[in-house]
Amino acid sequence: MADSDGEFVADDMSDDDIMDHTVTDGDPSAARPKGPKPPRKKRDRNGGSKAWEQSRRTWETDLPEESDGMLNLAGYEAERRRRLLRDTTPLQRGIIRHLVLVLDMSFAMAEKDLLPTRYRLALSYAAAFVREYFEQNPISQLAIVGMRDGVALRVSDMGGNPAEHLERLREYEGQDPSGNPSLQNALEMCRGALFHAPSHGTREVLIIYGALLSSDPGDIHDTINNLVAERIRVSVVGLSAQVAICAELCSRTNVGDDSQYNVAMDETHFKELFLALTTPPVNRTKEQSTSSLLMMGFPSRTLAPGGTTSYCACHSQPCREGYLCTRCGVKVCRLPSECPACGLTLILSTHLARSYHHLFPLRNWVEVPWSEAARSSACFSCQSPFPEPPPPKANKEKGKDEAPAKAPAKGVSESGRYKCQVCDSHFCIDCDVFAHMVVHNCPGCQSRPQAAAAPVTDGVEANGNGHTNGGMMAIDG
Amino acid sequence: MDAVDVSEHYEVTAADNSPSLLSIVLDTNPRAWAALDSSLSLAQAISNILVFVNAHLAFSNANQVAVIAAHVNRAVWLYPALQRTPSSTAPTKDSSGDVQMQDASSEANPPPPPSANKYPQFAQIESSVFSSLQTLMAETTVQDLDQLTTQLSGALTLALCRINKAAQALSSSDTTLSNAAPVNATAPPPVKGRIVVISVSDSDPSQYIPTMNAVFAAAHNQVAIDTIALAGDSTFLQQACFNTNGIFLKAANPRGLLTYLMFGLIPDTEARASLITPTHDTVDFRTACFCHGRVVDTGYVCSVCLSIFCSPPENAECLTCGTVLALGNYGAKPAVLPRKKKKKKKIANGSGREETGSATGTPRP
Repeated sequence: MADSDGEFVADDMSDDDIMDHTVTDGDPSAARPKGPKPPRKKRDRNGGSKAWEQSRRTWETDLPEESDGMLNLAGYEAERRRRLLRDTTPLQRGIIRHLVLVLDMSFAMAEKDLLPTRYRLALSYAAAFVREYFEQNPISQLAIVGMRDGVALRVSDMGGNPAEHLERLREYEGQDPSGNPSLQNALEMCRGALFHAPSHGTREVLIIYGALLSSDPGDIHDTINNLVAERIRVSVVGLSAQVAICAELCSRTNVGDDSQYNVAMDETHFKELFLALTTPPVNRTKEQSTSSLLMMGFPSRTLAPGGTTSYCACHSQPCREGYLCTRCGVKVCRLPSECPACGLTLILSTHLARSYHHLFPLRNWVEVPWSEAARSSACFSCQSPFPEPPPPKANKEKGKDEAPAKAPAKGVSESGRYKCQVCDSHFCIDCDVFAHMVVHNCPGCQSRPQAAAAPVTDGVEANGNGHTNGGMMAIDG
Repeated sequence: MDAVDVSEHYEVTAADNSPSLLSIVLDTNPRAWAALDSSLSLAQAISNILVFVNAHLAFSNANQVAVIAAHVNRAVWLYPALQRTPSSTAPTKDSSGDVQMQDASSEANPPPPPSANKYPQFAQIESSVFSSLQTLMAETTVQDLDQLTTQLSGALTLALCRINKAAQALSSSDTTLSNAAPVNATAPPPVKGRIVVISVSDSDPSQYIPTMNAVFAAAHNQVAIDTIALAGDSTFLQQACFNTNGIFLKAANPRGLLTYLMFGLIPDTEARASLITPTHDTVDFRTACFCHGRVVDTGYVCSVCLSIFCSPPENAECLTCGTVLALGNYGAKPAVLPRKKKKKKKIANGSGREETGSATGTPRP
C-alpha cells in the first residue's frame, strides 16, 4: 500500500495512465495513501531501480508509436492542454497579497529522492517562486521563514523587492539542513509577520514540508485556532507523504477546502505545485475579502535636470532618474514602494495592469472536429499550416477507426485546430498554450474588425465588466 | 541541421548567429497618414521600411522578418500573408482525392517573373507587402476613416505569437514544455525577437489592458518593443518600450524615417548590449481614471478589482465590481489632512532629520 515516488511514475505506464494519474493530483489522499517513512526508504535503497534510473518525463520517452511507425503525439499535446485548461470563471481574488513562504530546512530535506537533494531543489524552486510571485503580484509582499533545529528561522523580512529575497535565499544555499522542523514555531512566526498586514490584503502562508514530524513546544491546535481567528490561510506542499496535522491545518484555515494540501510526486510535480501558488487565491468568504479603497500615487519617471544626480529618499543613494512622490515630491528610485516621507503607496499603473488578467481570465478554447476544420488552412496568429482535412469519402470509415484511438487523449483536437468561441478563429496548439499561459489575449478577438468585437469582448477589454463575462464563462466549463 | 555540414568554421558561425526575428508593426491609419502626406507619404514610408527589412535580412541568413499592419479596426498580416488563394484551391485538390499538380503561375495572382538584379527573398517580401496592403486598403470602408486609433494590441499579439512559434521551432521539445510552465526567466531565448512599431496615431484607451498584456508577455519572453513615433500621442507604446527595454524614438522629422530606422533601430537585442542606445529620459506613467477618463497622478484604487478612480466613488461603491468599499483612514480625505499636518511638522524638523541621516552615513567609510 505504501506506494511512493519511485514506483509511482513507472516506465511502462501508458499515456492513458499518466493522464489519470496526474489528473488526480488535486486529491492526494486518493492518489497517495499515507505511508510510513521507514519502509519507503528501504525500498528506495534496496529494491528496484534508483530514482535517477527511471524516466521521469514519461510523456517524452514513452510516446506510443502508431502502426506506420509515426510517433503519436497526442499524449504530449494532451499534457500541454491539461496544463492550460482550467476554470476560467472570473472569481474574486485577493490581489494584494501578503505571503510568508516557509521552507523546511530540517534533516528530512537532505533526502535525495528529489534531485539533487530536496533542500537544493526546494531552494532553487523557491528562487523561481519569488521571481514568478512578484511578476504575477507586483503590489504584494513576501517574507521567507525557515524551519531548522526545532526553531523558526527568519530568512527575509516582509518586503516587496524580489532582489532582496533572492539574495537572502542564496546565503542559505551553502548551508546544510539539520535538526527537526517545528511547525508550530514557524506558524507563530508567520502570525507575527502577518499581524500588521492591512485588512484589504490577503494573509497567506505557504509551507514546503519535507518531514513527517513536527517537534512543537505546545499544542499546535491552539496555533491553528489563532490562525483561523486572524484569517491566515495556510497551504502546504509535502515532499514525502501526507501528514494528518497538515491536512487539518490546511482545511481549517481555508474554510474546509482541502485542496490546499498537496504532496509532490516528482520534481516536475513539485515545481508545478509550488508555482501554482503564485496565482492569487480565491476569496471564499466575506471575512476573507474586506475590501477598501486605497489611495495611490502614479508618479512619472523623471530625469534630474541638467544631467545632475541627487539622492533618493528610500536608499540614500545618488541616482539620475527617479520617481517623484505625487503628494510630497520626495524622490524614490524604484517602484512599487511606499513614500518614505508621507507614506503614500507609489506604484506604476502597469503594476495594476499586470494583475488584470487574473480578474478577467481568457476563456479556454475548444477543440475543432474535422467537420469544421476545412475553413482554415493555417493558424490565425502564427500562420503555420494545419493538417489537411481527410477526404470526405473516407471520412465515415476513418471516423469509426479513429474514434476509439483518439478518445483517451482528452482535450486534444483531432484536426490540430483550437477555436476561440468568441471570434471563431482557429489556432494551433502552440498559440493556444502561449495565449493562455503568457499573453492572456486572444489574437483573433484583438485583431478582427472592432464593430463585431464590441458586443462580446473576450474578457480582457478595459470596460469588460466581470458580470457579463461571468455569464459567458460559466457556460464554458 | 548544422550537423549535416561537419566543417568546423560552419559550426562556429552557426553558434554565434542565433537567428533574429524582426516583426514590424506598421500603423496604417489612413487619416493619420493623410495628415502626414506632405512630409512622408505611406508609399515612401513603405519603401523605406522595405530597405530596413532588407538590411536586417542581409545581416544573416538565419534572420527572419514579419510585417503586420495595425489598421483602424483590425490587424492584418502583410508578410507572411494569410494565403487566401490556397484555401480556395483546396476543394479542387480534394475532388479526385489526389493532389492536382498546378503551376504556381496559374493561380489568381501570378507573381512577377523574378528579376535578375534582385535577391528573390527581397522581391517576395516586397510583392507580398504591396499586394496585402492593397487588399487591406480596398477593404477599408468610409466608416473606418472616422477612427483616430489603430488596433495595436492585436498586431502586437500576432507578432508575439509568431516570435513564440519561431522560438519553439528552434528549441528542443523539452524546453517548450518547461516554457509552458511559466519559469526559467533567465535562460536566453533561442530567437532574438523584437518588434518595431511605426506609430502614427494615438493610443486607444479601451485597448489599454490587452496592450499591456501583450507588453508583459513581450517582457516575459525577452522580446524588445521598439517604437518610432512619426505623429500622434502614443503613451502606451512609451510604457511598452520602457517595460521591455526597447527604444522609443520620437521622429521630429518624419521625412528621415529611413535614417531613424537605420541608425536607431537596426541593432538586435544582443548587439544593443554593447551600444549606446537612445534613452527615454521621461516616461509618462500617469493613468486615466475609470470613472471620468481623467489623467491622474494620485488616485483611489479598489482593492478588489484594482479599478482606478479620481475621487472616492459615491456611496463608497466600486463602479466596476460593485463591492462596497471601506473608506479607511487611508483613502478618505479627512484622514489625509491630519497626516499632512504631521508632515509639516516633520518638514520643520527636516534639518534635524537630515543631520541624523548624514551622521549615520559618515562613520561607515
